Amino acid sequence: MTKDIMLDIRGQICPACLLITLREIANNKFSLKRGQSRLVVKTDHRDATRTIPGAAVSMGYETRTEKTDGYYEITIEYRK
Amino acid sequence: MKSPAATRTKKPRAGKSLAGLEKEKKKLNEYIRDKVNQLLTVMGTKALDEHELDESDFLQLDPIGIIALSFEQVLEHLKETNKSLGVAKNQLQAVFDTAGVCISIVDSDMRIVNCNEKQKELLVSDRDEIIGHHCYEVYCGKESPSLDCPAIETLATGRPVLVREVKKKSRHFQIVTSALKDKAGNITGVIEVSMDVTEKKKAEEAMRQAEKLSAIGLLAAGVAHELNNPLGNILGYALLALKDPALQADQREKLEIIVEQAKKGSEIVKGLLNFSRQSQPLFEEISIEDVIRKALKNLSSRLLAQSVEVTLDIGDMPRVMADPKQMEIVLMNLLINSMQALEGRPDGLIKIAAGKKDGFLEVSIKDNGPGIPKELLPDIFDPFCTTKPVGQGVGLGLSICSGIIKKHNGSISAGSAEGAVFAFAIPLERKN
Ligand SMILES: Nc1ncnc2c1ncn2[C@@H]1O[C@H](COP(=O)(O)OP(=O)(O)OP(=O)(O)O)[C@@H](O)[C@H]1O
Ligand SMILES: [Mg+2]
Repeated sequence: MTKDIMLDIRGQICPACLLITLREIANNKFSLKRGQSRLVVKTDHRDATRTIPGAAVSMGYETRTEKTDGYYEITIEYRK
Repeated sequence: MKSPAATRTKKPRAGKSLAGLEKEKKKLNEYIRDKVNQLLTVMGTKALDEHELDESDFLQLDPIGIIALSFEQVLEHLKETNKSLGVAKNQLQAVFDTAGVCISIVDSDMRIVNCNEKQKELLVSDRDEIIGHHCYEVYCGKESPSLDCPAIETLATGRPVLVREVKKKSRHFQIVTSALKDKAGNITGVIEVSMDVTEKKKAEEAMRQAEKLSAIGLLAAGVAHELNNPLGNILGYALLALKDPALQADQREKLEIIVEQAKKGSEIVKGLLNFSRQSQPLFEEISIEDVIRKALKNLSSRLLAQSVEVTLDIGDMPRVMADPKQMEIVLMNLLINSMQALEGRPDGLIKIAAGKKDGFLEVSIKDNGPGIPKELLPDIFDPFCTTKPVGQGVGLGLSICSGIIKKHNGSISAGSAEGAVFAFAIPLERKN
């Protein structure tokens, strides 16, 4: 019963996707770490598909990136 | 580098222009962006693009705060990883150390990097310093590696090598070596796994001996059977010839030697038959005392010659169901062993005792010889277990005894306390 926390940063004038995602991870740290939720980030920023997984992995998360029509979906979750 | 704060306090406040303040703010922003980028790089991601965010949006995000929180998680993750690595390392070490095989790791120079407890136990007996020393020196006791060393071949070819059998420090090992490689594929060392196959080899040896034994048994039975008649004839004719009154003294002497040797020959044949006879005991009601006395009578001249004293302690004994011939063989073997152990002693003493105990008839034979060496005790009833020189014993006596007693549903034991003690017990009642 994992809840998906959606973070849509598509088309925003918000290129600092990484910082925003990191903030979201920090805000949901406990439920993520307990496996109660996962974070699904939607972004159309190509660079983010490298920076976000890089940072998430060094914090111990697993990530999966899928390309859907026109944007990327990065799923971040914690697995024991 | 001076910090922006330090720069600011130096300048007088009053004289500050708006343009000057803007400039300072920009500088401060750049400083923060610079540090944020540094921290992000440390976290393993790419730095932010110069144009990704404008100044005010950037600061409003509180980048330092976010990164601080993220770093906290990075550290937690590292700690956990470290912990589980530690656990894994301990588990591996435990597996390494409790493995039933010897494991050793050597570098490309054949110096020992690590080895497990089993390896130390079996192959390093005489030294404390192992790590950093050459394996051929520590494990094989050599000054240079031998030509057929599997580790050398693995180091040269990178391929695993299996050596079926090698003798090191008086044990037999089967050895497998495999190469340790770094990421680039270069050979950096060898893992050597040695399995102690000494026990297996012993078991195989015992198997071979058992096979040999049954082959000998068959052969012996056949030969004994065939030899009995001619030996009987030689003896008979020699005795007949001895009756001739016209014999010269030297002819008589020669004939007597023939008689003596023919008797010796038939003794050997009898022994072979005893050994090869796998027959079931022929049970009859016997008195064990009679059997003991008979055995002592057979040996009386030797006992006398060796001046061995024998004491008998036999209580009120019921008759038992047993094969008297086989019981005699058991007693003879035990007594002869004791006499052999007492050879050369002026005060030789053999104590024989018999009595009832828990439904069994128990007979014990005790001597004041040197006793049985501790390491011999576990194998003493095995065939070919002997400490006697060739010609004096082949190590079959006790295995024959144990076979006979087992067929009587009894038990036999050996002990050592100021001499040797042998005891056997057979059931008083025979169940069908
Ligand atoms: N009374 C004893 N005192 C000391 N050692 C004994 C005694 N009896 C047996 N042993 C030891 O046990 C070994 C095995 O005995 P066993 O009778 O089976 O064979 P053996 O006497 O050597 O040869 P064999 O009986 O075939 O002539 C002997 O070689 C001897 O070392
Ligand atoms: Mg013997």
